[in-house]
Amino acid sequence: MTSAEAANHYFKKAARIMDVGERIETLLATPLRELKVQVSIELDNGEIRTFAGYRIQHDNARGPMKGGLRYHPEVDADETLGLASLMTWKTAVVNLPYGGAKGGIQVDPSKLSVKELERLTRKFVDQIHDVIGPTRDIPAPDMNTNPQVMAWIMDQYSKYHGHSPAVVTGKPLELYGSRGREAATGRGLLFVAREILRDVGLAVKGTRFAVQGFGNVGSHAARLLHEDGGLVVAVSDVHGGIQNAKGLDVPALFEHVRRTGSVKGFGGGTACRSEDVLVADCDVLVPAALGNVITRQVAADVRARIILEGANAPCTPEADDVFEKKGVLVVPDILANAGGVTVSYFEWVQNLQHVTWEEERVNAELERVMKEAYEKVGQISRSRKLPLRTSAYVLAIGRVGKATVLRGI
Amino acid sequence: MGIETQLVKKLVQIPIFGALTLGEAADFFDAASEVTVDKGKTLFREGDSSDSLLVILEGEVQVTRKGVELAKLGRHAVLGEMSIVDGAPRSATASALSDVKLLKVPSARVQQQLKANNLSALKVVAHLAGVMSKRLSLINDKLAEALGQDKKREELADFSRTLHRWEF
Repeated sequence: MTSAEAANHYFKKAARIMDVGERIETLLATPLRELKVQVSIELDNGEIRTFAGYRIQHDNARGPMKGGLRYHPEVDADETLGLASLMTWKTAVVNLPYGGAKGGIQVDPSKLSVKELERLTRKFVDQIHDVIGPTRDIPAPDMNTNPQVMAWIMDQYSKYHGHSPAVVTGKPLELYGSRGREAATGRGLLFVAREILRDVGLAVKGTRFAVQGFGNVGSHAARLLHEDGGLVVAVSDVHGGIQNAKGLDVPALFEHVRRTGSVKGFGGGTACRSEDVLVADCDVLVPAALGNVITRQVAADVRARIILEGANAPCTPEADDVFEKKGVLVVPDILANAGGVTVSYFEWVQNLQHVTWEEERVNAELERVMKEAYEKVGQISRSRKLPLRTSAYVLAIGRVGKATVLRGI
Repeated sequence: MGIETQLVKKLVQIPIFGALTLGEAADFFDAASEVTVDKGKTLFREGDSSDSLLVILEGEVQVTRKGVELAKLGRHAVLGEMSIVDGAPRSATASALSDVKLLKVPSARVQQQLKANNLSALKVVAHLAGVMSKRLSLINDKLAEALGQDKKREELADFSRTLHRWEF
């Protein structure tokens, strides 16, 4: 099952439990606009190369659409649509005044020079500038795109429409970016971890966490959980993993990663394979790397009693069923990793108001948003006896649905 | 009585009189008379007894029912054609939007002709049936559309009620 099918699978499951009817289900699932464009650039050596670019806008009932922009050889319309709908549900769960969108270019950016990447990005903006905008659709970084790419987008868009910092988020701090944006997804995971652990009578302090993935999400999550008294007993990245039942020295691990570029070879624990981290002896598992890493087989061996989905769709729907039967609590992606888009929203708000927030304010507002979202999802889960994921989708469909009804067809 | 041959030639171009030969048309319009109505006056009101079929020769007429405009009719349009079939009271009100000249065919006379198996009257009624059938089909389309709109409102309302049951 592709991530698009998986996203649609959970949406349909919730829509049917709610009994919204076939036509409303179609209305909510169908994207508003699917744009595919030609992105042709001249390489540094004078050759011409043409790439396919996508921007898929799923729903705007709750506000301007929001979603990442990824540069990856496997980007296609189907996957992009699935991720766009995921953004609609995610922004609804955390109650941001946004709809959902996603985009990307089918390209292997590691094969392009920085100058070529800049030309590619600017050309893509040339092709989509009339469908994006601060009140239409606001892109953000995703796989292989970063604050520099966002800066190019802002600059190119501003050439057409005048100074427009709010057209993208995830910009560099020096160019209208927000404090706290980089660690936002990891920090959101921390806030959700605190809430769910309290619900089961525990606290972050003394709880054992395994974190798969040590990129933007996993590294900050591990650091913040450690600072909050949690024991990070296993971490991994693409190169390998490291375990320590007594808890890793996370600051020392950060230093190791800064020097070597990987968690592999860190002296404060025993080496293991990346996939071993998923089945490590721990209380909470944080898959924060790629999608679909937890299959049915892996799920059967998972020892954690709580899963926090730091990545998008790390569990396949079959794995999700296994966890439901085993009584493992899964905090779904559309809630658990919504800290990123939430601080993107704060960045957009700051840009529109021409102000800068201190990091304390960003973090405090993020905490409020994540707590409220968790509380709402938990209420639905308890009162309707539904898993957290289904409850989150129910909440999202309810919010998008209400906006749709109020606006009218 | 009787009307000019020039006018008869024009009248046979109107759909419900289309099957008539010039001779038959002259026969059918034998008892017809021309009347004029001043701008703003009413030709007949909803509920009035139906005594005649009217053909607009000049000017414009507005047809309303319960205050709602159903149609604006101009030169060579036919009004009150149902009167020659059912004799029921006028189903709508007609008023002159300009000075109007009309050809008035008494329905009693047409009904007499029908009883006598008069060919021209029978041909007019047969054509009238065709015109009515087309009009009914149009109304059926509009009805289906109107019912469909009710359905849409119903579906959104159902969804709204569903959401209410979930109490977010």
